[in-house]
Amino acid sequence: MFCLSIIKDTVAVSPSYFSLPAEKAICQELHKKYANRVLPDVGLCICVSDITEAGEGKIVVFRLVVFRPFPSEVILAKVKSSSEDGTVNFFDDLYIPLNYLPQPSAFDPNEQAFFWLPDSELTSTIEMLDTPLTSRMYIDRNEPIRIRIESDEFFDDEPGPTKAAEGVLVQKPLRRSPYQVTCSIAEQGLGPVAWWDGSGAEQDVEMKED
Amino acid sequence: MEVINPRAALLSNFEVLTLLRELEQEQLAETRAALTLKKETTKISQNGSDSNTFVPNQPPVPEVCENLRTVEFEAIAHLTAPFQPTARQSAAGITKLTRSLRKYSLTKAEKLQIVNLAPVEPVQLYVIVEELEDRLSSQMDEILGLVQDSLAEVPDGEGLEDAEGIPDIEDQDQEFVPEVTEDLDLEYKEETGWNEDGLLDEFVDDEGGFEGDLEADEDNE
Repeated sequence: MFCLSIIKDTVAVSPSYFSLPAEKAICQELHKKYANRVLPDVGLCICVSDITEAGEGKIVVFRLVVFRPFPSEVILAKVKSSSEDGTVNFFDDLYIPLNYLPQPSAFDPNEQAFFWLPDSELTSTIEMLDTPLTSRMYIDRNEPIRIRIESDEFFDDEPGPTKAAEGVLVQKPLRRSPYQVTCSIAEQGLGPVAWWDGSGAEQDVEMKED
Repeated sequence: MEVINPRAALLSNFEVLTLLRELEQEQLAETRAALTLKKETTKISQNGSDSNTFVPNQPPVPEVCENLRTVEFEAIAHLTAPFQPTARQSAAGITKLTRSLRKYSLTKAEKLQIVNLAPVEPVQLYVIVEELEDRLSSQMDEILGLVQDSLAEVPDGEGLEDAEGIPDIEDQDQEFVPEVTEDLDLEYKEETGWNEDGLLDEFVDDEGGFEGDLEADEDNE
C-alpha cells in the first residue's frame, strides 16, 4: 500500500523557526507542503520519513511515505457508501464500479446496498430483485472488504477562470478528486471478509442472519 | 521540485504504523513541554507585579500542521482497525516471517502482501499469490502456519492483553500447547511470565497444589 519516494525540493524556512534545530524546521515546512496532498504520478503523501541531504542552500533531498497501491495488489478496506454507480471506500476515492462487482450483482434501493447472488444465472436487475432476501449476500456499509487494485489515475483539474455566458455564471463541473483508484471485488476471496471466513459461502449466509 | 524516485522502496503497513506512532508521540511530547513552559512563564509574570519583569521570549512551538494531523489520525485509525492484522504484528514477528518466506519462490509484491494481509486461510492466500496451485500447493499450509506464528508473537509489554481471551480457556487450551513446543524460547518465556501473573492457575485447574495457589493469592493481594 505504501512506498517511499525520494524527492528533491527547495525549502524556505520561516524566520520564526530559526531557533529550532534545522531538521525539525525543515520537516515542518515539508509537512506543510506535502502532508495529505496528492503528487501526480507519485501518490498521496503521508509524512516525511527522513532527510537524506540538506545542504546550506535550501535544497533538500528527503524521503516521503506515500500511499500508492500498485495494480493487482490486494488490500483491506471498509465500505464507505454504495450508490447506483459503485462502492466507495476508506481513504476515499477508492471506487468499485459496477463491472467489477462479483457477477451477478444488483443494487437494492431499499437497503441502499449492493448484493451478490452466488451461483445464480440471472442477468437482469429486475429478476434479481425478486430473489428471496436470505439468498442474497449483501455488501453493507462499514463492512471490511478485501479489494484488488485494478488501476489508478491522477487528475489535474485546474480551476479555470470563471466563465459567464449571457451574464449568468456557468456552474463549474464537479471537481474530481486528484487521485482515484479503481478496484475490483469480482474474484474468489475478494469482497466482504465475512464471506470467506470459515468454510464456504453457505456458512456465511447463516452468519449474516445471526 | 523534482521527483528523484517515485517508488524507491516498498513499505509494510507495520512500518508505516510505527513511523506514524513515533511522529504522534513526538508531537504530544512537544505540546506537553510547550504547555508546561507556558504555565511556568505565566506564573512568573503573574507573581512579578513589577511591570519591568523580564519574561524571556518563548521558543516557537513547532506547530503541527492540520493536514499532517488529519492524515496521521486517519492512517493510524485505518491501520489499527480490528479487521487489519497490523495491530497484532511485531517487528520481530515480521522479520521472522520475511526470512522464512525467502525459501519459497514468491515475488517481492507477494511477500509484502502476505505480511500486510496476514492470510490464515487458504482462500486468502489464493487471492494474493497467482497460480497458487501450480507453484505452492503443498507448501500452502506451511506458509499459513508461519503467518499464524508471526501474529501470535505478541511483544512482552502487551502480553497481558491476551487476558481478554481467558474466558474461552477450554478452547484455548488446545491451541496453546502446540505453540510451546514449536516456537523459539521467546514464547517459552512468555508462558512462564503468565505463571507469575497467576493466569496459569486457571489452566491448571487446581492441579498446581497448595503452594502454587497460595503464592498466586499473595501476589494478587
